[in-house]
Amino acid sequence: MQLTSEEATRALAAIQTSREAMRSAVRAHRGHYHRWLWGVIWIAMALLAEFRGQGGVHLFPWICAAGFGGSMVLGCIQGRQIRGPVDKRFLGVLVAVILFAVLWPFVLRAQVNDQTVFAYAGLVAMLCYVIAGIWFDTYLLWLGLVITALILVGLFCFAAFFWWWIAIFGGGTLIITGFYIRYCWR
Amino acid sequence: MPELNSIIHQPVRLQIMAALNHLGGREQVDFTFLKTKLGLTDGNLGAHLLTLEEAGYIAVQKAFVARKPKTFVAATAAGRRAFEGHVAALTAILKAKGSS
Repeated sequence: MQLTSEEATRALAAIQTSREAMRSAVRAHRGHYHRWLWGVIWIAMALLAEFRGQGGVHLFPWICAAGFGGSMVLGCIQGRQIRGPVDKRFLGVLVAVILFAVLWPFVLRAQVNDQTVFAYAGLVAMLCYVIAGIWFDTYLLWLGLVITALILVGLFCFAAFFWWWIAIFGGGTLIITGFYIRYCWR
Repeated sequence: MPELNSIIHQPVRLQIMAALNHLGGREQVDFTFLKTKLGLTDGNLGAHLLTLEEAGYIAVQKAFVARKPKTFVAATAAGRRAFEGHVAALTAILKAKGSS
């Protein structure tokens, strides 16, 4: 098979056009909607705790439930366009991590306050990101590690401003990552 | 020297392989979504997918989503290698032209 350089140029241009057509869908599948959703949720929870105290903290389970519902809806919508095979072993690992993370603090009767509970839940969520990053997509690994570090710094170094710290550096990092995926990911 | 692939070089199949190669290694795309993205008809896309499937370059999977039958398509490892080889051959043609 022989081609002229003009034909080769046209073929490469067609490849580029086709890649461009898929790019937005692939970006959406990489999860910027999820990062935006959970970034907003983290900010909402942190600000509720800051301004409404215990009354705000009591709303956390409902806000998280709404977040999980939103994530499921997003996953279903995106799964109609592009989907990966369901990895049962990965789901098993996540279920085990979450079960252990929920169970042992109760069994051991850990002494906690609102900040440590939030930090603990956030660290478990970031552990799930790290596992997903190792399993599927490297950016989740780095995002999980960065937010883990930010949570720990906020908890141990800036406890007086913990909720503001979480709103800005936890929720903010998630939202900025969403924008990065949406607008900068090639 | 990489060689051109006559199966992949057909314009529609080139578009299809470029689109599928852009997905992650384990991802599949919905037939209707791919058709819309590439501006093809059902028949045209279906015929070219069949050719690519027979060559072992793509895998087609049928599934029910919300009780509706859906067809998902993904590039195989052999398809990705063949496509990358074809792109390398196209690039080599341009480089040879540039250096002559």
